[in-house]
Amino acid sequence: MKYYFTFAWRNLWRNKRRTVLAASSIFFAIMLALMMRSLQLGSYDYMVETSVSFYTGYLQIQGKGYWEDRSFDESFEPTDSLLSLIKHHPHITTINPRIESVALISHQLETRIVPITGIDAEMENKMTGLKKRLVKGNYLNDSSQGIMIGEGLAERLLVNVGDTLIVFGQGYQGVTAADQLIIEGIVRFPIPQLNNAMAFVALPKAQTLFNITNRLTSIVLMVDNANNMKSIQEDIAAKLDPNLVVMNWEQMTPELVQAIEADSASGLLMLTILYVVIGFGVFGTVMMMAIERTREFGLLIALGMKRGRLLLVTTIEAIIVSLIGAISGMIGAFPIIFYYSRNPVHVTGDLAKAYLAWGLEPIVPVMLEPKIFVTQTLVVLSIALVTSLYPLFFIRKIKPVSAIQGRGGVR
Amino acid sequence: MMMLIFAWKNIWRNKKRSFIILAATAIGLAAGIFSVGLMTGMYDSMVDSAINRGLGNIQLHTTAYKRDQLIRQYLPNIDSVVQVIKKYPDVKSYTTHSIIEGMASSATIASGVSIVAIDPELEKSVTAVSKSIVEGTYLEKPNSIIIGKKLADKLKIKLRSRVVLSFAGMDGNIIYAAFRVAGIFKTDASLFDGMNVFILQNDLSTLLGTQAPIHEIILRTHNSLLLEQTKNELQHQLPSSILVESWRDISPDMKLTADITDLTNMIFLGMILFALLFGLTNTLMMSVLDRVRDFGVLLAVGMYRRRLFSMIILESLFLSFTGGIVGVLIGWGLVQYFKTQGIDLSVVSKGLSAYGIPSMLYPYIRSNVYGELTVMMIATSIIAAMYPAIKAVRLKPVDAIRTIA
Amino acid sequence: MKTFFIFCLINLASISSAQTAKEILQKAIDLMYGKKTYSVITMTITKPTWTRSVSMKAWSIEPDYSIVYITEPARDKGSVTLKRKTEVWNWIPTVQKTIKIPPSMMLASWMGSDFTNDDLVRQSSVIKDYDHKLLGEEQCEGYNCYKIELIPKPEAGVVWGKIITWISKKEYMQLKEEFYDEDGVLVRTMVGSKPKMFDGHLLPSYSEMIPHNKPGNKTSFETKELDFDIDITPDFFSIQNMSRVK
Repeated sequence: MKYYFTFAWRNLWRNKRRTVLAASSIFFAIMLALMMRSLQLGSYDYMVETSVSFYTGYLQIQGKGYWEDRSFDESFEPTDSLLSLIKHHPHITTINPRIESVALISHQLETRIVPITGIDAEMENKMTGLKKRLVKGNYLNDSSQGIMIGEGLAERLLVNVGDTLIVFGQGYQGVTAADQLIIEGIVRFPIPQLNNAMAFVALPKAQTLFNITNRLTSIVLMVDNANNMKSIQEDIAAKLDPNLVVMNWEQMTPELVQAIEADSASGLLMLTILYVVIGFGVFGTVMMMAIERTREFGLLIALGMKRGRLLLVTTIEAIIVSLIGAISGMIGAFPIIFYYSRNPVHVTGDLAKAYLAWGLEPIVPVMLEPKIFVTQTLVVLSIALVTSLYPLFFIRKIKPVSAIQGRGGVR
Repeated sequence: MMMLIFAWKNIWRNKKRSFIILAATAIGLAAGIFSVGLMTGMYDSMVDSAINRGLGNIQLHTTAYKRDQLIRQYLPNIDSVVQVIKKYPDVKSYTTHSIIEGMASSATIASGVSIVAIDPELEKSVTAVSKSIVEGTYLEKPNSIIIGKKLADKLKIKLRSRVVLSFAGMDGNIIYAAFRVAGIFKTDASLFDGMNVFILQNDLSTLLGTQAPIHEIILRTHNSLLLEQTKNELQHQLPSSILVESWRDISPDMKLTADITDLTNMIFLGMILFALLFGLTNTLMMSVLDRVRDFGVLLAVGMYRRRLFSMIILESLFLSFTGGIVGVLIGWGLVQYFKTQGIDLSVVSKGLSAYGIPSMLYPYIRSNVYGELTVMMIATSIIAAMYPAIKAVRLKPVDAIRTIA
Repeated sequence: MKTFFIFCLINLASISSAQTAKEILQKAIDLMYGKKTYSVITMTITKPTWTRSVSMKAWSIEPDYSIVYITEPARDKGSVTLKRKTEVWNWIPTVQKTIKIPPSMMLASWMGSDFTNDDLVRQSSVIKDYDHKLLGEEQCEGYNCYKIELIPKPEAGVVWGKIITWISKKEYMQLKEEFYDEDGVLVRTMVGSKPKMFDGHLLPSYSEMIPHNKPGNKTSFETKELDFDIDITPDFFSIQNMSRVK
């Protein structure tokens, strides 16, 4: 075996240019496959990241049944052990407590029914970047007694910063929740449904307003890496009070999961097309190599080399070339993917404006993920190995004499 | 001329080699065409599905209704508005909607809904509601209602069940009325299915005791390229209290999603072309190496290097052109086949549905794309041939002839 | 607040034998509608995790007008709900403002109970909207009762598939009502009990509403005081008057 390997190795070095060419076709195949998949998965990740940081977060701790009923009956008092569990969890980056309800907001003759969210102003900003959306007035803080509303809602109610709104709703255990709140700030959301509806008050204010002292409807959690989400969820779930649940964004917004899967389906179609093109590139190179070596093969067979051994040597050659191409491809792609994952390309023009209006960074995100390297390299390697089976058929059909004479020489 | 013939003959001297290059080009182009077809198909179906569902090409409301959605903010002088619309040449069809926010209740539960009162004949020409019925029939008999599958499940009701609609009438008093479920519809967007119920305008008129107020007119136009112009001219002809908007104005989020999809797809297409470029370069390079001896001889007998260079480029051009024609044919065939057959993405159909994309994907290509891609393809093959051609002309004749294959 | 007083559909005076189901109901209703009442009621809301009592005074001209003034708990004291036909208004003492409940808020629960604002105003006439059938006689809450089935007419704006009600033969007290959906599944039950004399009328002083699709939930009413034929006119039920009643 060692003999064949040495033979193959020497063959490869005998014609460096050909070897380099063959390896380079695999090199580029790997580079492209890696870049495409990193780009695809990067964009799904970006979609998830931006969507979850808009509202749901990666994980939420809620009372059992809250997600369906949205009632204060399922609110909860966070225990010290729960708080210390999430505060000391190494992979949880943001802990964002909320009180959510729906209430009437009224100014003079205009009345609207809107969702009101009691927020920890600092945490909410850290997670959703709410402060960036402020267009008028001041952002809330813990001691704020006022309210912050969406721009569209302000227009509909014909109000401005400094005006007083009446809030009327239902608090914990059915008590009346009513108060007059001064508008402290106005925020703008790119999505009309949010812009026309959202209203925020500081968490302590929400607790008095809804008579829900020390209780929360949800704790929103952001994690350092989406891949850790499920294990963190299990961690928390194992130690959670039986009245509480911890939900992940996939459970809260299945539409988003499915949307990403759908996008991923079309992404896979594109990837398949790329594989076909890559496959043909590699195949062309391999075929050319075989044709070029007709005379050499013919000579070897004429000199008494068994076809079987020749097949073995060629196969070893193909494997070595593929491996060289694959490894160099990975090495070549890594810095590029690394660079663009850290310094993503910025979109320009109208699309960039649209991105910004939506509060999104106008970037083309790239994902740096070892798993992509492994899977894509394996896929391209198998394509390379399958295509390099061609010379095997070729060798079996060589007629030594005419091959040496350079008359095609294939049966 | 001489060069042309020479190059053409060269191509057929080694049929196998030429065939490989030809096939690579053909496959590349076919793949390119097919991916563009998929992209366009995806974009179009997303937009079309929303337009069909109820977005239309152009919508008319009063500015007040756009702000408050109140029942009394209906379109004034509806007949003269309809006259203006009917006369405008680019308008294909129109439909009128009375839209009232209200509640639909079953014995178990009540849910907030948009009650859309329609003229069933006009509606057919504009939206796909009549085609989306999965159970039962379209609106035919009085006091019938069609509701979305999602809402039907929420209210726990079936075909022919009783549903009570309640809404504030023109004077603010709440009206309660019972309807029978005539049909259940299911569109690509589950949110739409959970929010909208359809009844007859005649029934609404009876309940209100006055002609049903029209809050919305939806138009389909003939030419999507003239959309902005049509919009502006209609706005000009109608009173300023009426707001004329195109689907792009109404649904900016869909436009953004579509644009992002478009951008990522363009990047992928670029990568596919790039992959093709390298495949071709490699194949051509091999073919040049294979012919080192020939080139050596040619140079030795006094052929100009410049001529050799153009010969290789010409060869590559011929190959890519022939391959291009084959590729266009294959690509066209694929697109045509799947255009009728469709590609089933139903594994993830639930997700597509939430997104507003139908689960069957029908690739589609505008005819000018074939030309554009062929030009791109030829440019790619010229670029691909550059490096091998440069390599070839740099050969030293003596070394080249000595080279054993 | 017709829903609250649905048990008051009684007629002590009329005692007759061979009547149709419609006549039995008609008699009760004739006496109830147009009645001007003042009552003191305690509502108890029972949820799986908590219970809460709300005490109130109520003035009504059935079926169109009511004013409810909350006396307890302290936090809600002074809140007033006004019902005029299909509209509901709230007076909020803490901010000294009146708010009209918009149609979109009608599904919200009233004071945290199992009744929604919509239940308060939902208009359906037991006589006009239903076909009636006397099913027989049955014991209910210790009284000999007529058992009557009500099937809604096709065009009527009611959600029920059918209602079965028990009315005591002698006193004409409506003691029990069962609400079914179109598939014949029991959705909610109302039961009246502990009859007492109020202003010369024998009436159930305690009643319960049990929603069967929400296990563990219950809303009950205890009538402490009930006066008939008090001196009020529809003018009493004005938005201006909301802030004045006590």
